[in-house]
Amino acid sequence: MKDKKTKRRYKEESKEQEYLENWKRERASFLNYKREEGERIDKVIKFANQALILEILNILDNIYIAEEKLPKDLEKNEWVKGILNTKNQILEFLKNQGVEQIDCLKKEFDPNFHEAVEMTESNSKSGVIIKEIKKGYILNGKVIRSAKVKIAK
Amino acid sequence: MAKILGIDLGTTFSATAIIENGEPKIIENKEGTRTTPSVVALTKNNERLVGVTAKRQQITNPQNTISSIKRLLGRRFSDKEIQNDKKLLPYEIKEASDGSVEVKMGDKWHKPAEISAMILQKLKQDAEEKIGEKITQAVITCPAYFDDSQRKATKIAGEIAGLDVKMVLNEPTAAALSYGLTKTKGQQILVYDFGGGTFDVSILDIIKDPDTVQVIGVGGDTHLGGDDFDQKVMEWIIEQFKKDQGIDLSKDQLALQRVKEAAEKAKIELSTTLETEINIPFVTSDSSGPKHLFLKLSRARFQDLVKEYIEKSIKLVEETLKGAKLEPKDIEEIVLVGGQTRTPAIQEAVKNLFNKEANRSINPDEVVAMGAAIQAGIIGGDAKEVLLLDATPLSFGIETLGSVNTVLIPKNTIYPVNKTQIFSTAAEAQTSVEVHVLQGERPMASDNKTLGRFILDGIPSAPRGVPQIEVSFDVDSNGILNVSAKDKATGKSQSIRIEGSIGMSKDEIEKMKQEAQAHEQEDKKKKELIEAKNLADNLIYSWEKTSKDAGDKIDENLKKQVQEKIDELKKVKDKDNIEEIKSKTNDLSQIIQKAGAELYKKASEQKPKEENKDAKDAEEGEYRDKN
Repeated sequence: MKDKKTKRRYKEESKEQEYLENWKRERASFLNYKREEGERIDKVIKFANQALILEILNILDNIYIAEEKLPKDLEKNEWVKGILNTKNQILEFLKNQGVEQIDCLKKEFDPNFHEAVEMTESNSKSGVIIKEIKKGYILNGKVIRSAKVKIAK
Repeated sequence: MAKILGIDLGTTFSATAIIENGEPKIIENKEGTRTTPSVVALTKNNERLVGVTAKRQQITNPQNTISSIKRLLGRRFSDKEIQNDKKLLPYEIKEASDGSVEVKMGDKWHKPAEISAMILQKLKQDAEEKIGEKITQAVITCPAYFDDSQRKATKIAGEIAGLDVKMVLNEPTAAALSYGLTKTKGQQILVYDFGGGTFDVSILDIIKDPDTVQVIGVGGDTHLGGDDFDQKVMEWIIEQFKKDQGIDLSKDQLALQRVKEAAEKAKIELSTTLETEINIPFVTSDSSGPKHLFLKLSRARFQDLVKEYIEKSIKLVEETLKGAKLEPKDIEEIVLVGGQTRTPAIQEAVKNLFNKEANRSINPDEVVAMGAAIQAGIIGGDAKEVLLLDATPLSFGIETLGSVNTVLIPKNTIYPVNKTQIFSTAAEAQTSVEVHVLQGERPMASDNKTLGRFILDGIPSAPRGVPQIEVSFDVDSNGILNVSAKDKATGKSQSIRIEGSIGMSKDEIEKMKQEAQAHEQEDKKKKELIEAKNLADNLIYSWEKTSKDAGDKIDENLKKQVQEKIDELKKVKDKDNIEEIKSKTNDLSQIIQKAGAELYKKASEQKPKEENKDAKDAEEGEYRDKN
């Protein structure tokens, strides 16, 4: 009789332990979740502007192309200078947002930062970037757009 | 317990997911993206690259950059598919001594499983870094049409990567798992998977006994995918420009690159907008100067461009159905997988065939990896260990002033849960309150289901709004609702226990939800009316209180004016003309503000007088000091 009672008591106690353990687990997983969410939110804030910046970069690309294709005789034109100053304004804005340009020209090709779109014969050493086709950018230490480059064969 | 990784090992992209707090979660790779290109490369410096870095250098190193290895996995060299693909692959392949395929990367020949293992290894390492623990077990997915040898090769690839592969799961089954569709036994599910480079159709049969998911039909096209869509748009852009300017952009490498990007962007934009602009300034130039490309592409035009591919896919679905001796009406659920299914025309075509909406709420690029993680959770016992918590199907609230349903626990709240809110009395010297417990979504109390009522009395007599009654709702893990009300002054409390409130039948819940939706507009108006009436009441009450406190400080004439406005408001207050109530309340409020301003003015006139008096005293004092 007594034996049965102890057995039941033991069973109840172990159930109790199990419940407590599960509750602790659940509590811990909630606290962990809270911490992880906090970290995630930090990251979200840090990169919240990324999508917007990428869109601005697309527009900036076209300004760069316009500048590159500018006829020689217009280079000194005050109107043109004014428009190109707008480009500097955008660059300044991006800099303040923590955006950096990736260095390309004459650098060794590095797939961590560059994407090769063409390879051509050149006087330069093989594997060296000879032309930057589309600028690449880094935001807070993360490559948000790799630079598209042409490299020497 | 060690976590089991869910892996979607795709032809062009791969993804991983894991169960966390009972939910599947996609794991970002080291580069911070949610999918990883299934590309492996060996550089000239003998450095191995996997993922986006391998893809970026592909052009410089095509012979040693291995993509689409999944097409070769577990195949025999003599297979028709291999002979066809051979011409398209930029890298070298040969027949191994056992008749299988080998791939050359660097100086070495590799089995496709070894290359797949390199991808899996990166996925594993990135996941370990992200979740901060070692991963040794995985569930890897493969297409439903994979034969025994291809499945074995998938498993071997996992083992080479240091993973104990607990299961090689069918991709369509994984997708169905993500939507929780495998729970309903006896139904047939069609999975329509339109990826970047491949198109797969699978039909699943959810069998009750034994508890399994059986693939009863497969079909598709291994060379039909979203890339074809991009190509079509590119061709269209080039053709339009040629017609317009007479210049062929396809000869200009740089322009082509920009057109390609613009085509991809246009395709994505057309999933959400009806028309998109394709704007490429300075795309090229001739003797007359720079040329700009500016085109408008409508969704209708785009759909026309890619019509042949969509029709082809639908034809393949029909063939697969026929092969399984099924009709579209035999399919209970449809699941869309693969990025290309974001195209509205595809969703439309599928809907038209089956006459019902497909499941597409989960990101179609991630749904397979999520399903793999769910399967991993089931294998690992996570699914059993994890408490499955339910959510309240409808809102719980109490009736407040003006017969309004004030919600304390909104619908879809996960329980057990406890919510407390302080309420007060609506009348002067009110000594009891009735707590009327409601369930439902309608704003007016009477339109909801009454779960119970009780009275809390013995509240000390006080002006309205002064007593603090704490009402607390508690739903325990069994769905039992306990409502209590406590007078904070006396500590007196009353409570009620309501069982079975959550366990309403599905039909009943659905009916209540639909009613709420149907009456949304009129309910809103009713509620606004009550609110306007309450506001009018409060204004009258607060004036009566202020004027009593202020006594003769308010000009009698003004008092009379206010009273007139109050009488006017009282006349319209109990009618149901909201505009009239609002306008009369506004009138009253303005005159009360005038009275209030007067009161302040008087108060401040008195104050400076006193202050001046003080100042004078001080001055005199100073004089006295000087004397």
